[in-house]
Amino acid sequence: MPALIDERPVEPQPESIDPDAPLPVRVPLEPRELAAIYEEHARAIYYLALRMLGDPTQAEDATHDVFLKAYRKLDDFKHQSSIRTWLYRITINHCQNLLQTWHRRHIFTTDDEAICERTASSAESPLRILETKELGERIQKTLDALPEEYGLLLMLVADEKLSYDEVGALTSQSADAVRGKLHRARKAFAAHFHQTA
Amino acid sequence: MNPDSPNQRPQLRQNQNQDAEQNLAEQTAATQQAAALEFATGEEAIRRDAAQTPLPPAIAERLRKSIENEPKQSESWWKKIFGS
Repeated sequence: MPALIDERPVEPQPESIDPDAPLPVRVPLEPRELAAIYEEHARAIYYLALRMLGDPTQAEDATHDVFLKAYRKLDDFKHQSSIRTWLYRITINHCQNLLQTWHRRHIFTTDDEAICERTASSAESPLRILETKELGERIQKTLDALPEEYGLLLMLVADEKLSYDEVGALTSQSADAVRGKLHRARKAFAAHFHQTA
Repeated sequence: MNPDSPNQRPQLRQNQNQDAEQNLAEQTAATQQAAALEFATGEEAIRRDAAQTPLPPAIAERLRKSIENEPKQSESWWKKIFGS
């Protein structure tokens, strides 16, 4: 299956202007600059890797590798997207490569549609949890059960620093397509989430 | 004053009971607060989960060591031409 994400430069779009401003000049990354970038974005990168890979140790490795790649490849950074979007792109590609290697990719089947139909009422009801500590486990189970595209879409949209245009650029589709799929992704998430209770 | 003296033991036991009751009350309050969690959409739940997921501190130290072992980066083409 082809990678969902490619490395092509993102076309600049007015709506995607982000306070996560790209670096002002193109210079080799100094350790102190990387430290500032790490400070601002590492948590989001780690979380994305954690939920994509489903394993804290592997997510640690992936986060380390993503920032090391960023350090090595800053000269390739096109400044047409924000640093955060660029780091997400590296993370998604890195995790997808790992998942392909492990043969752990999920295949989208009609089962997801069937689950949504069977649990149509629960898919519309709020998502409740009894204890905060169970939230991570249930979200992981839910994301593991979803088509990869839906899970990725929800995780990216959950990051309020990303615009729909940027989510679209990261998932190789238009912002309108993101909005359209988001509705289905939410429904599928809710259906699976209720089943994890 | 010896806390194990017979005169002090009832006072000590009373303090321990008060501490236990206070701990129980705090735990109950925390549980009730957690029980109130409700999310309208998947991304809301994910956002909350992301906010409560700590970044392992070991990554930063490991990254620092890795970067120390990296070969020094060569200057960019523009820097060679135009200077810093």
